[in-house]
Amino acid sequence: MLERITQGEVALSGRRRAQLLFLMDNGIYVVTILLFVLFAFLAPHFFTPRNLVNILISASLAGIVTAGYTVAILAGQIDTSTQGVLAIATVATALLFQEAGFSLPLTVILALTAGIAAGLFNGVIVVNGKIVAFVATLATQGVMLAIALFLSGGQTITITRAGLQEAVFVRMFGIPSSVWIMFFCYLLGWIMLTQTKLGAHIYATGADYRAARLSGVPVDRVIRIALVISALTAALTAILVTARSKQSALFGLAIAGSVDFVTALTAVLLGGFSLFGGVGRIERNLVAVLFLTILGNGLQLMNVPTGIVLVVRGFALVSAVILSVLRARVA
Amino acid sequence: MASDQVILETINLDKSFGAIHAVRTVSWKVYQGRVNALVGDNGAGKSTLIKLISGALAPNAGSFRVHGQETTIGGPAGAFNLGIAAVYQDLALVESRDVVMNMFLGSEMTRGVGAIFLDHKGMLRQAHDVLNDIHARIPNVREMVRNLSGGQRQAVAVGRALIRGGEIIIMDEPTAALGVEQTQEVLQLIDTLRKQGKTIILISHNIQQVFEIADYISVMFHGELLGTRRREEATEAEIVAMIMGRRAP
Repeated sequence: MLERITQGEVALSGRRRAQLLFLMDNGIYVVTILLFVLFAFLAPHFFTPRNLVNILISASLAGIVTAGYTVAILAGQIDTSTQGVLAIATVATALLFQEAGFSLPLTVILALTAGIAAGLFNGVIVVNGKIVAFVATLATQGVMLAIALFLSGGQTITITRAGLQEAVFVRMFGIPSSVWIMFFCYLLGWIMLTQTKLGAHIYATGADYRAARLSGVPVDRVIRIALVISALTAALTAILVTARSKQSALFGLAIAGSVDFVTALTAVLLGGFSLFGGVGRIERNLVAVLFLTILGNGLQLMNVPTGIVLVVRGFALVSAVILSVLRARVA
Repeated sequence: MASDQVILETINLDKSFGAIHAVRTVSWKVYQGRVNALVGDNGAGKSTLIKLISGALAPNAGSFRVHGQETTIGGPAGAFNLGIAAVYQDLALVESRDVVMNMFLGSEMTRGVGAIFLDHKGMLRQAHDVLNDIHARIPNVREMVRNLSGGQRQAVAVGRALIRGGEIIIMDEPTAALGVEQTQEVLQLIDTLRKQGKTIILISHNIQQVFEIADYISVMFHGELLGTRRREEATEAEIVAMIMGRRAP
């Protein structure tokens, strides 16, 4: 597939190519700042402390899931089960905290454990079943959604017990904890990817599975770990989403609005990542998430109908795919 | 050369893939500090034999002797531990990673507790040293491998084998895809390795090249090892005849 996509290679001199790559890789910073300035002038109430914090909260929910998702993409695994993991973890959080009356720490630990279990399940299907992640996780997502449906009895579970929302959205320096958690996830991700052996193995496995395996990289273990990280961040997001809205949502995307597979994918591609793994830097994804959140928020404040906002987001994904393919051609 | 030491020996090695008998009871001696060429036509079993030696494949029967000790290879990691390092035909380099990361891929240097954190500085230094030792001309070790020439890539792959403590370096058709100048570069590299006391197993199609660089020439035909000749005692005609399946008298 890669061969076909990289056909029609662009003939460029080394210097021009380097410039173009630099632009493609870092353009997201410029575009995000431009968009921010644009909305600050055009959209009413956009540039207010309250709205900026709102943007950060929305970005944090999409950002955390994207951070883990990015790790899976880097390892060459397109994990499409995000919504399934979100569904299981949101139902688990609501059931355990509201119905079973578990303490908050225990609820969080168990919901995260559910995420890890989902990631391990993905790993077994992908590694032991030798099935491409894109297909395998599409299938496991079906199983996860069904489990969530069964556990919740198809009902939205409303959380009336106090303590969850308050605890998760404690503010530090005026900024809610979910935002700090997001920054922490990216910091951790950056350290892991650039400073650790595991990170080097993730890049290598995603870039060239065969070469990595022949070089003695434990590729199967790397893929399992990447899928667990992806599911774990999805579960973490689900806890925050559930806490924020005080209810479970069977389909994670329905309540979070911007937390779903498509957003994660768009952010990853806008961040200059290759869909085929092995290329990209996680900090750019943080900016890409901010870009998408600002876009959605700004349009909403300008009273653009939701349908149109969705169309714009769709185009953002299309442009991101084009950018990704162009990058593969130039590189 | 009569005093050449055998560093590695295969004993009645056998490997089949279904109905295809790729390697038939091969007993082969590899001499220490020498260039041991393995030649043969396509499908003669050369690649399978070296994959058995490098641990990429497991034999159906037979055993190995390394430094006189009977042993099993047990996968690529086991081969590394025995000092056997393969440089594959496609080099197994990761194009989108830089020279240093490729040289240390799978055997990264770490610092601190738990061997978690990469020792970027240490790897950079050692990569420089190793590449200097083999006279490789790579201006920037932070360059991505995809931007290197064929000869430079070969040097990176060999550098990786050396970093892993490779004493026996298997090179599979190292010049197959290279132009004249880069081929010379690789042949010089092989000679440098030999001068440093490394043992080289060289798979090649190119008889002239084999006569230019090898000390021993072994011929495979239809999965069997027909024989090994010292370079000075062999003629090209004899080797070509063996490649075509005529057993030497």
